[in-house]
Amino acid sequence: MYDVVVIGSGASGGAVAYSLCKAGYKVLLIEKGRLITRDEFTKDELAYSRRDLVTPSLFDEYHTIEQMVDGKWEVTPTHESGWSFWNGNMVGGSSNLMSGMVHRMHPDDFRLQSKYGDIEGANVVDWPISYEDMEPYYDLTEELVGISGHYEKHKYEPWRSRKNFTQTPTNENAVVKLLDKSCRSLGITPLVTPRAVLSRDKDDRNACYYSNFCGSYGCSSGAKSSSREALIKPALATGNLTLLTNTHVKSLHTSQKGEVDYAVVVDTITGKEKKISGKLFVVAAQAHESARLLLNSSNKHHPNGLANSSGELGKNLLFSGGGSGQGELHKENLKEIKFEELMTTGLFVNRSVLDWYFVDHWWDGTFKGGSVEFMFEHQNIISRARKNNYENAKLVWGKDLGDKLSKRFKEQKSIRFEIFNDWLPNDNCFVSLDKTHKDKYGMPVGKLRLEGHPQDVKVGKYIAQKCENILEEMGATNIYSAVNSSASQNLVAGGCRFGDDPKKSVLNKYCQAHDVSNLYVADASFMPTGGSVAYTWTIYANAFRVADYIIAQLKNKV
Amino acid sequence: MKIERRNFLIFGSLFGLSSYVNAREISMFEREFKKVKLTISAVQEHMFPPMSKLPSAKDMNVIAFLFETVEHQSFDKDIRDFIIEGAQEFMTREKGTFISMSDTDKEKALRDYEKTNYGSSWISRIMTITMEGMFGDPIYGSNVKEAGWKALGAYSGLPRPSKRYLDV
Repeated sequence: MYDVVVIGSGASGGAVAYSLCKAGYKVLLIEKGRLITRDEFTKDELAYSRRDLVTPSLFDEYHTIEQMVDGKWEVTPTHESGWSFWNGNMVGGSSNLMSGMVHRMHPDDFRLQSKYGDIEGANVVDWPISYEDMEPYYDLTEELVGISGHYEKHKYEPWRSRKNFTQTPTNENAVVKLLDKSCRSLGITPLVTPRAVLSRDKDDRNACYYSNFCGSYGCSSGAKSSSREALIKPALATGNLTLLTNTHVKSLHTSQKGEVDYAVVVDTITGKEKKISGKLFVVAAQAHESARLLLNSSNKHHPNGLANSSGELGKNLLFSGGGSGQGELHKENLKEIKFEELMTTGLFVNRSVLDWYFVDHWWDGTFKGGSVEFMFEHQNIISRARKNNYENAKLVWGKDLGDKLSKRFKEQKSIRFEIFNDWLPNDNCFVSLDKTHKDKYGMPVGKLRLEGHPQDVKVGKYIAQKCENILEEMGATNIYSAVNSSASQNLVAGGCRFGDDPKKSVLNKYCQAHDVSNLYVADASFMPTGGSVAYTWTIYANAFRVADYIIAQLKNKV
Repeated sequence: MKIERRNFLIFGSLFGLSSYVNAREISMFEREFKKVKLTISAVQEHMFPPMSKLPSAKDMNVIAFLFETVEHQSFDKDIRDFIIEGAQEFMTREKGTFISMSDTDKEKALRDYEKTNYGSSWISRIMTITMEGMFGDPIYGSNVKEAGWKALGAYSGLPRPSKRYLDV
């Protein structure tokens, strides 16, 4: 019997498996997808960006989405809308495909309610832990998983125990000269974005080779700090890890004692079911799927789903508030840098702005704001060509299309910004089980209700206006931004809140289920509020923290 | 067909049945495709004519790309049907004469079809798949000698695929 069974091999599952294997425990890591190695990844746009190569077919596995239409909740399966909530089913999960722009959460993100009080219609609570508890693990992630960057003091940059990043920033496109100057002339401070991509070789991982196709693609040098490269490979090397791929966990079974004794799993290729026993189970299947698994594991001891005596399981699901915008830098009126420099491919923009992370302004008011990342438009060729062939809402074709695309690709480059602000937890954003729709394994699919809070859009629009000003100062044209309350399917958290009160939370402060002592949830599910940055760094850090606690518990048992 | 499939999905399935149904649909697709192939090809050639800054549909072999893409089991079944049905509808509207029309008449026929929601969706779908061939990796049989990439001055990152997802 395994000491620990980990379900899901993404950022959190990998971190837990790594720590436990290093500590000498026998771990089984279950992954629904297959193993795609460094050598197998390519920059095939058709395969990775336009087909379901690394996600299930929506006809086999899907979600249903509940949205308010004309005052009524309407349910649409994702195989009808095409709106997939799968993010990469393979060893290492979606960490293989991230663009790797990461930040630590701010200390005040851990105590949002104390700092700002209640917001009507939002279920904001303080975390049961503080930034001080998390900082050592943010630091561990930076070093072990590999985050490159450069620390500059800023009023909203969290404090750090290590003076600066060991890995210097990845190489940057000359556009940063123009971006930095434009920000400064507006009194805005540009900061170097920490990136989960190695700028220098580390162990058997090679430095970034600037392929120009990073986000949405697996990395062929091992530079991207995926769970697979950074954690699962070294965990396998300990001899303590068993990796079970192409295996989907349908439910968890609990014994008379009320503890999880086995998982019911299905081989995704043969369809064969079996039971897998373990002393301790760690769920890390990505927030909405972890909650679904526990809901699908109800039994007479846990009639409303496993670890759901609070009724909080699946509730307060989080996405990321904000939106994005972009503008075009044209050859004919480019400032500060040469056009050839702008057009150099592969190099990063690596800039973020934290100036509006908290807003305290005599006119604008006092509220929690958000962060901004700058980048080039994704370099995918097919999608760039395809979205640029409309004129007055009609398709352009023939010679006109040739002229339009040639100009679009050869005489300009688009610069983008992405805004990350809190997705306020609320009563109309949660995952439950769909009573009619089932996946191909016969299990009820997750039904996602996805309402955002009006404050999220207000904050996003406030920041978008500031960012549009930056693009204008850069000399960009055709500037636009889009901020709405649409849920970001690649940034999901919440659903298994952690907290000190078992009546109001699913997990305790170590992400151990209040109701089931040998069950942990290690992914982003634990987050009661999400902060205003991408979740990845916090997911890695928290999983290392949880793993340390599990190790202490296992040691005590012996 | 559609309703049956919806029920099939809603109430779950026996493991593996979907691939059997899919295989049956694919052979039907091949038969139906042959009847509309010339029309679809003519639409692609009108969209990507010779003497443009982009390579022509004919030179890039995009009709073969479209067939292989749409036929593959990973392709959405509803859209596969739509590709055929949209072409059939267009042929009915133009009484099967589109392929022999002058460029001016082809333009008018396509723009008229585009005014309908159905026609606009179909034309848009043909454009998307054609561009996928034109600007996708040459391993898929279109974008011959990287002519699509050269025309845009934009190239894929490395490493490039040595296998097509269609063959895996």
